Amino acid sequence: MRYLSEIWRSRELLQNLTNREVRGKYRRTALGQLWSLANPIAAILIYTFIFSFIFRLPAQIGDPSGLNNYALWLVCGLLPWLFFNRVLTLGTDSLVANAGLIQKVYFPRIVLPLSLANATFFTWMLEMAVLVVALSLLGAFVLPWLPLVAVFMVIFGLFSVGLAMVFSIINVYFRDLSYLLTVVLQFWFYLTPILYPVELVETQSDKLGGLAGAPITLLDIYSLNPVEGFIEIFRNLLYDNRAPELSTVLIALGWTLVAFGAGAWMYARKERMLAELL
Amino acid sequence: MSDWAVRVHDVSKRFRLYHERNQTLKSAILRGKTSKHEDFWALNDISFDVLAGHTHGLIGPNGSGKSTLLKCLAKIYWPTSGTIEYRGRMASLLEVGSGFHLELSGRENIYLNGSILGMSKASIDARFDEIVEFSGVERFLDQPVKNYSSGMYVRLGFSIAIHVDPDILVVDEVLSVGDEEFQRRSFEKFRELKQHGKTIILVTHAMPVVRDLCDSASWLHQGELKHSGPTDSVVDAYLKSVKS
Repeated sequence: MRYLSEIWRSRELLQNLTNREVRGKYRRTALGQLWSLANPIAAILIYTFIFSFIFRLPAQIGDPSGLNNYALWLVCGLLPWLFFNRVLTLGTDSLVANAGLIQKVYFPRIVLPLSLANATFFTWMLEMAVLVVALSLLGAFVLPWLPLVAVFMVIFGLFSVGLAMVFSIINVYFRDLSYLLTVVLQFWFYLTPILYPVELVETQSDKLGGLAGAPITLLDIYSLNPVEGFIEIFRNLLYDNRAPELSTVLIALGWTLVAFGAGAWMYARKERMLAELL
Repeated sequence: MSDWAVRVHDVSKRFRLYHERNQTLKSAILRGKTSKHEDFWALNDISFDVLAGHTHGLIGPNGSGKSTLLKCLAKIYWPTSGTIEYRGRMASLLEVGSGFHLELSGRENIYLNGSILGMSKASIDARFDEIVEFSGVERFLDQPVKNYSSGMYVRLGFSIAIHVDPDILVVDEVLSVGDEEFQRRSFEKFRELKQHGKTIILVTHAMPVVRDLCDSASWLHQGELKHSGPTDSVVDAYLKSVKS
């Protein structure tokens, strides 16, 4: 609680640091913010070509939206992932990268990962806006679901930044983490049903049955991944145009509480020592 | 004793000197522990009061712990034991231009840096013209800061910091920035702050500055407080020890 009030008191600083990230990033480029759309667009083209055209993944029909478009289906999962990836990568480095500032001025250190997450969130919002337009043009009835999409974007944002907060402190002790993370994120990406539907994993899992005789299936282990639930929620809302399952939502909320709670707890405990540790 | 603005009470600060600083996972896993270290006490039971409205100088040779104490006062380090109490709002000026973003303009950096130093947007708005006027960079206000000369950069940073308007100001040796003219104006600004009843704590090696500006002083030597009191007696004792 003490921490929340401290964050609240430094909201102007948070806003200014967010502006620093957003405005500083694309300075002196002709296209400016549009560049933030370049990466997702490239990824969409590549993945759609490979998985939809060459590998011929089974068609993904939105229920009840009736959409049948691999590219859109992919993007509904890819955009949240790209956000998560950026928040984690940038956030983990946020303390080490701002060592000079931390050693010279006192301010609540938590604003550093938070401002990065905010700036990244802003980019994500632009991307999602483009996606919503595309979905609507191609026949999905997204508009009534937008408030829920916004709510889950905030929840997913809290989950991501919570994890980034934990990592940013660990990274002060073990600088290896930021390098290790890029490798882990590669595995994580392919172990999350973004490029392929989770049903394919289910099929394999059913074939294998209980692992080593235990009643635990491959799918059970696969589903431990907290990002999986979030991706499912975003696809339900955006692509299928239906409410996500309650159990999925509850698990996602649980993960968010754990991640953000752990992050805030670590900052409350370690913040005072950061200047000398860096 | 009249009213104190800053009370330093039994402050000690321990640093760990790492012989093998295992900042990698590999070494942590292989050795099963994070580090070997020995303790170094940079400050030992420092206690003194700074009276409200006084300017207090921290003096001592290099390595005496002045900067550590200053960082404790600025809330950047936290004392291992002991307490520091403040009556009023504290701001610190340890480096000018902390957090400037080089690609952003002078104008944008005033807001950014001001808020890092703890100013609200409203108070930056109110003092914006003063800040610009004092820094003397009007013409380049909308240029990115990376195109500034080092003098302009420092002047803008100093000007923002000096306009934070705290009750207590903690200052490192930043008085020596800028050209003669700017230094003169900086001193004037400090005197003005003093006249307005602000409490200032500053670290400097320049004894004339201490004699000129400070009402009281503390002399640190190897983490111990040697002497604290009226400026002249402390400075005289310090200079005597240095000569002998």
